[in-house]
Order: sequence, then C-alpha cells, then structure tokens
Amino acid sequence: MSDNQLAVAAGDAVVKTEAEIGNGMSKKEAKKIRMQSMSKAEISYLRRKAVAEKVWPFFRFVILFGLGFVILYPLIYMISCTFRERSDMSDPTVMWIPRNYTLNVLKETIQAMDFWNTLRTTLILNIGCSLVQVVSCAITGYGFARFKFKGKGLLFGIVIMMILVPTQVIALPLYTQFRYFLFGKLNLIDTMWTMYLPALTANGIRSGLMILIFRQFFKGLPRELEDAAYIDGCGPFKTFVRVMVPNAASSFLTVFLFSVVWYWNDYYVSTTFFTDTKTVALMLTNLDNELKIRLFNDATVQISPREQIVWKEAGCLISIAPILILYVFLQKYFTEGIERSGLVA
Amino acid sequence: MARKKVDPDIEAAKKKAAERKAEIGTELPPLKAGETPAEAVSSASVPEKEPKHHKMPYEKRKAMYGYGFIALWMVGTLIFFLIPLIKSLYYSFNEVTVNPGSLDTTWVGFEKYSYVLNTDPNYTDYLTDTLLETLWKTPLVLIFSLFIAVILNQKFKGRALSRAIFFLPVIIATGPVYKIINGDMDSTGNAGAAQFSTMFSTDMVGSLLEFLGIYGLSDNMGTMISTVADNIFGIVWSSGIQILLFLAALQNIPPSAKEAAQMEGATAWEYFWKITFPYVSPFILANLIFTVIDSFTSPTNSVMNRIIDMKNQWAFGEASAMAWIYFLIVLAAIGLITAIVNKFIYYEVD
Repeated sequence: MSDNQLAVAAGDAVVKTEAEIGNGMSKKEAKKIRMQSMSKAEISYLRRKAVAEKVWPFFRFVILFGLGFVILYPLIYMISCTFRERSDMSDPTVMWIPRNYTLNVLKETIQAMDFWNTLRTTLILNIGCSLVQVVSCAITGYGFARFKFKGKGLLFGIVIMMILVPTQVIALPLYTQFRYFLFGKLNLIDTMWTMYLPALTANGIRSGLMILIFRQFFKGLPRELEDAAYIDGCGPFKTFVRVMVPNAASSFLTVFLFSVVWYWNDYYVSTTFFTDTKTVALMLTNLDNELKIRLFNDATVQISPREQIVWKEAGCLISIAPILILYVFLQKYFTEGIERSGLVA
Repeated sequence: MARKKVDPDIEAAKKKAAERKAEIGTELPPLKAGETPAEAVSSASVPEKEPKHHKMPYEKRKAMYGYGFIALWMVGTLIFFLIPLIKSLYYSFNEVTVNPGSLDTTWVGFEKYSYVLNTDPNYTDYLTDTLLETLWKTPLVLIFSLFIAVILNQKFKGRALSRAIFFLPVIIATGPVYKIINGDMDSTGNAGAAQFSTMFSTDMVGSLLEFLGIYGLSDNMGTMISTVADNIFGIVWSSGIQILLFLAALQNIPPSAKEAAQMEGATAWEYFWKITFPYVSPFILANLIFTVIDSFTSPTNSVMNRIIDMKNQWAFGEASAMAWIYFLIVLAAIGLITAIVNKFIYYEVD
C-alpha cells in the first residue's frame, strides 16, 4: 500500500503550497478547490483508491486468517490430541479442549518410538549427511557456474535429470548397487554408508536441486571477486575456499537447513536401505505396529481407529517438534535465503 | 573482498610452482617435505621445457579445473544415478527373479509394460487419478500461491507472522507426518471445507454457493467450486515453496516500474496484469515444474505407493515398468508445458 501513501504524501504537498498561496486557507477548503480543478476520471480514481484502502485490509485479514487456520489446524489438533485420554476421542462433546488431561499418551508414544535413541540416530545421520552434501553440492555447483569445459551441457542435463527422475525409479537398482557394492565384495545395506556415500558425492536426497541452487548463486556473484584472487596468485580451489565460500555463507546455511528438513522427512529412501536402523520418519510410519507390540504386548489387540489417533498425533507432534523448533529460531534463513540465492534465473 | 591474510610471498611462490607444473602438463606432485617453494619453482622452470607451455593453454587449464570441481559428482552420479537408471530401464524389460546372492533376469520385452497397463488391477486407475489430480491441482496451486505471495508482499501488521505460518508446510509437507495428518483429517471428517463446517456447524460452502447461485452459476461451476473448497487443505499445504519463490520474484520488481505505473494512474488490477504478472512469469514455469516434481514425492501419491508395494513384493520388473510409464508421461507433459509456456514468458533483457 506504499503507493497510496506516496499519493497521499504528494497530495499533502500540494495542499500545503495551495494553503500558502491562498493565505491561510484551511486544508479542507484547499482540498475542495483542488477537487474542482480535477477531472471526473481523476476524482473517481482517487475515490476508488480510498475505498480500496479501507476495505482491503479487512479482506486481507479474513483471507490470511482463514488460510492460516487451515495450515495451523493440524498442529493445534496434534497438541490437543497428545494431551487427552483416548476415551475423549469417542466423546462427541470434545472438539478442541480435552476433558481429561494426561501425559500418558505422550510418554507411551515416546516409549514406543524409542524416541531418544531414534532421535540421536536421526540427528547424526541428518546433520552429517546434510553437511557433507552441502559441501559437495557447492563444489559441483561452482564447477558448473564458472568453468567452461567439453560436455558441460550434457553433464548439466544430467543434473536436471536428477531433479526430474523420481527416486522411486532408481531405488531398486540402487538397492542392489549397495547390496553388492564393489562388485559384490561389500554389503552396505543397513549401514549409514547408504546415506553418506551419495551425500558425499553430491547424489543424496534432492541433490540435483541443491546443485542448481548453488550454480545459480555462484553465477550471480561478480566475476571480479575471483579475478582479484587469481591476480593475487590464488588457484581456483583456494579461490573457491577463501573467496567464494565466505560470500556464500548465508546461502550455505539455507541449503543446509533445507537439506536437514528433507533428510528428516525422508522415509522412502530410508525404508529402502534400512531394515534395522531407525530414523524418526521410519518409526513414525511404523508407529501402528510398534504401539501394538510395545505397549500392549500383543499384535492382535484391537483399538478402534479413532482412538488410535491419539497416539498417532502424539507421534507426529514429537516427530516434527525438533524441526519446528529449528524453524522457529532460524525462520529468517529458511525464507530469506531462498530469495537471496536466486533459485531461478 | 580482502580475505587473503596469508603470507603473500610464500603463497605466491607456491602458487607459481603449482601453475608452472600444471603448464608443463605433468601431474601435480605435492611439495615434498623440506623442499622450499623457491626450489620447486627453479626445478620446474628449466629452460628446455619452455616450449611445452603452449601445450596447456589457459583455457584448457581452466577446463581441467572445471572437471576437477565436478569430478566427485561425476563419480557419484555414475554409481548412484546413471547405472541405477539404466538398470531400472533394463529391469522393466525383464523377468527379475530374486535368488539369494544374485538377481536373475530373463528378457521378456514389453511383457511387463503390457501386464502393468492391461492386467494389473489398480495401476491404470491410480495412474489416471493421479494424473488428473496433478492436472487440475497444479494450476490451482500456482494461482493460489501467486495470490498469497502478492498479499504477503504488502506491508501490514503481522506480516512476519503470516509469512512464517504460510511457509510452515515447506518443512512438514514432504514427510510422513503429512500423510498421517491427511489421513486423520479424512477419517475424522475434518478435511477441507468440512473442517469449517463442523466448526461452525453450518454448511458454509453450500450456503455460499446458494448465495452465488442467485447470479446464475451453472451446475458444473458449482461442483468445481465445491471440489476446490473440499481440497483447500491439500492446496494450501502443497504451496509453501511456490509462495516462497513468487515472493522472491515480487521483491525483484524494480521500484521504477512501480513508480511508472503510479504516474500513469494504474489501478491495482492493471498493475497486477501489466507489471506484476510479466515480472513473475519466468517463475511460473519454475513453480510449475516444481509443483509437478513435488507431486512425485508427495507421500499421498497413490501411483508411487503402488510402486513401493510392488517392490516390497519383490516384483522388480513390474515396479520398474510402472515407474517408467509414470515418469515418461510426466516428463512428456513437462516438456510440452515448457514449450508452450516459454512462448508467453517475459524475460527481462539484461
């Protein structure tokens, strides 16, 4: 709405000068005179603008509030479910506020998911992979952004393919690839290597997108930076480490955060390669069975699906809590980083 | 950027030595312990080798460095992307049997494809459903996210908070949590418009449509609107990144364009179509592709879930064929859309 403010400001300026000319005319009179001098179209334009200015904020509020509610609804519901007893689920009078508060559901879910151990494994895996992948993708992206070499077009085409091809297409052969690694000498299934090796070579989860982001970002930096470094006698690798990386710090952080989130949310790749290793996302997808086995010591116990929601929602809550906290504190980097990195050019 | 606080003399000498060696075309041996940079320089720059400098011109050397930067990726891509990709294509033409210790394949040609398309009880249904859903959902997501981005780009109180809320799906919607949320919303009958209706115990969309019906909306239009309203949950939840990208585009609109529009007395509507839209149009394509790709990885994608099922039954051939059919259709669609959209995009000339 700054354009309106500008228009108003400009109007004020005119009023003032007219008031000076008219020797102490009141603002209202000056405005009247000014209105008379305007054409009909101008008046209607200003009037429409004034109305829009008054009405629009109200509509904006309604729209944002309504849609914001759609987004927040599941989260509120999660919190509400986590702290209620399961009997509340079948109580039609309970919508948001639980009748019986309890921490048992939360405790049971934490126990069923073996949450603290799972969390530790997940964090080691996620943060490690993300760090390694950000570095490898940045190096690759820089190579594509700044050097000319034969076959660059083709190779970059492969990067685009990496973005387009869904993981599901290559997951099967990838499994055999890891199962019989180094011509059948090694079985990497169920080891962290299945995550670390691709990350290390810029082929992890959504790495194509990350390479693209880094390429665009490095392309946007002025060439003079590197030329100066070259003249001062830095080789390309040192230039990259000493000059380009410090300049890309915020971009690195953004990509790192997104990478953590993507690894955190991934359960497809992890189900393919892990049978033993537990990550939070995996535990959450298996929560149904785990609950039956761990809590009730009986795989055949029947609990109505409606009542199971309590545990499921509690599982969701503790699964997203860590990244939610991360998001709350580092929100700036999530949102502004993408804008600055210039994903699209 | 003055970031080179290293002792310039030694660094320069080392550099020179390395460069000389590179020019000569030999592999770069690391400086031997005890060998000073100066010695390295003198040993490398022996007069007879002078002509060889031309064998490795600057351009070529830079190309070598380029390969150096992407070498790691090339190795990884070969092992973790290209080979699996080709293998998966190969599997789709084969009967794959899993034996302990090995995978045996027998060539069957297009049999798997015809099985998947003709015999498999669910696949074609899922495929048409998913494709149709992508077809109508993608434009909606784009329109919606552009709309929200325009709103979030205005100055008002609580903008930071609203942005934080609207970007929230970015961090949640790719994970299993979303699947459960989605499922629970459905099973408790609280998805989409019903959510509001249960809250306020009225059929809001219904009455709204009735209200609009005064102006003679056709039946088709009515069902369309209620479909959209019913799916508002899915649409809002899958447009996080898109809003982010559009917002970035909106912030790149030069102030001069805005001023010019003001001078000419453009209304908000005209401003949107004449200024905003052309500037964000390159992002529309990017967002389009992003939305389609996102639908691949969405935990609620039924085709993908079917493929996972097949894989879990060790039916590798069928699973690969399914994945390839889906992928090729979507790839063709993306190609077609890109070709069409590219004609209407306004690229600012630098």
